[in-house]
Amino acid sequence: MTDQWPRYEVFKQDRTDGPFRNVGSVHAPDAELALMNARNVFARRPACVALWVVPDAAIARRTAEQLAAGDAVEIEDSGDSGRYAVFSKQSQRQTMTYVDYVGEVTARSVEAALQTAADTFTDVPGIVWWACPVEAITASPQSDLPGFEAATSKLFRMPNQYHTVFTMQKIRRGEEGEE
Amino acid sequence: MDDPTYDTRLAEFETRIARGEKIEPGDWMPDAYRKQLIRMISQHANSEVVGMLPEGAWITRAPNLRRKMVLLAKVQDEAGHGQYLYHAAETLGISRDEMIDALLEGRAKYASVFNYPTLGWADVAAIGWLVDGAAIMNQTMLAHCSYGPYSRAMVRICAEEGFHKKQGQEMIIRYSQGTPAQKQMAQEAIDRWWWPALMMFGPHDSDSPNTPQLMRWGIKTRTNDELRQEFLDELVPGIQALGLSVPDPEMHYDEATGHWVGREIDWDEFWRVIKGDGPMNASRLAARRKAHEDGRWVREAAAAYAQAMG
Ligand SMILES: [Fe+2]
Ligand SMILES: [Fe+2]
Repeated sequence: MTDQWPRYEVFKQDRTDGPFRNVGSVHAPDAELALMNARNVFARRPACVALWVVPDAAIARRTAEQLAAGDAVEIEDSGDSGRYAVFSKQSQRQTMTYVDYVGEVTARSVEAALQTAADTFTDVPGIVWWACPVEAITASPQSDLPGFEAATSKLFRMPNQYHTVFTMQKIRRGEEGEE
Repeated sequence: MDDPTYDTRLAEFETRIARGEKIEPGDWMPDAYRKQLIRMISQHANSEVVGMLPEGAWITRAPNLRRKMVLLAKVQDEAGHGQYLYHAAETLGISRDEMIDALLEGRAKYASVFNYPTLGWADVAAIGWLVDGAAIMNQTMLAHCSYGPYSRAMVRICAEEGFHKKQGQEMIIRYSQGTPAQKQMAQEAIDRWWWPALMMFGPHDSDSPNTPQLMRWGIKTRTNDELRQEFLDELVPGIQALGLSVPDPEMHYDEATGHWVGREIDWDEFWRVIKGDGPMNASRLAARRKAHEDGRWVREAAAAYAQAMG
């Protein structure tokens, strides 16, 4: 048997002024290794300027169906209020990413944060909502930036660096194929 | 079905798919939909992982530094593809543990194309153009899949596969313009990978009992034979334009249909290799098990460190 580590959801930021977007998950024994795994799995190419990892167990989720059905969720109203990061799925189109970070809300529990999020960010099409305590997020350190930047120079990973279509056209016309 | 609301829920589910909505983790779905997806995605994930092996063997023997960086990057991508797909399968309730154990214990299926040997550097070229080329066609279709996590993994993978295919095709083009010996290397590699690549599209439509249901639920949008035909129509003229040929004396262009047609795939071989009796099945599994064992101390050290710091 293999021994499975906890799952961390991974959020990737493509540009410094862009949102953190959920790209998938990794397993790791702690947040530090989760960030390292996330970089190997999700940032082999441009563009990535930062990553967040969040333990799966810290995230609460509401599906489109649960929202539509207005399922009464037990909302704990006791406890201290805290800050929660909220994310939403915003499109039914075919995409590479799932939920995007939309902002923070103050709430007394993660379930309450989901409700508050839907009521607060009314201009966001929340097809699916996620929430987690802000302290559950581990962000890649500033010192990782050179590593992310290095990926931008690995042009041989990009299909547009290979002129096979053009070369095949030339060969079909009977010209020498070399570019 | 004991659930009295089953029919209503099924109708709603199918309406959502018909509207082009993605089904997401936590949404209601028929059990058969979940099972089919777990079967397909876990096989697909295992194929990416085993797919590192045939080419990985050539990294140390790359002809120059650029080719070495390209091949390293490609093999690393395949490891990443396995991870994207294990993630997608996990959202359906199967654990990575279960999938990896099944692979290591020889219970899991993976693409039989990886059970053929890579005999020379030109095989790396032929695999890129033919095998990754065939994979792109299948995966482009699956990017439209109705299940959100699988679709997103496929969009991400397709963006990377373009590089895999093109670096291989570029090498075959170079070989075809080289010395007679180089041209022959390319021809022999194409001869070796042609039939395994065609088999990647899966059994003949008449032998794929799952297809109608998969299409009804938007998991697949095209049949195995449709995709295989698209592959023939693109690759046969491409290979011929380079002065090379496909290893099928019956291959010809059918004026009436506008398609390339060759002889039937050797289905006995196809089923034999799937059932574990291919030239490299045992070797691939042994390499996976060894890699898993060799990595044990790293996993143990990471876990011990996390515990000590936590
Ligand atoms: Fe791949
Ligand atoms: Fe590939």
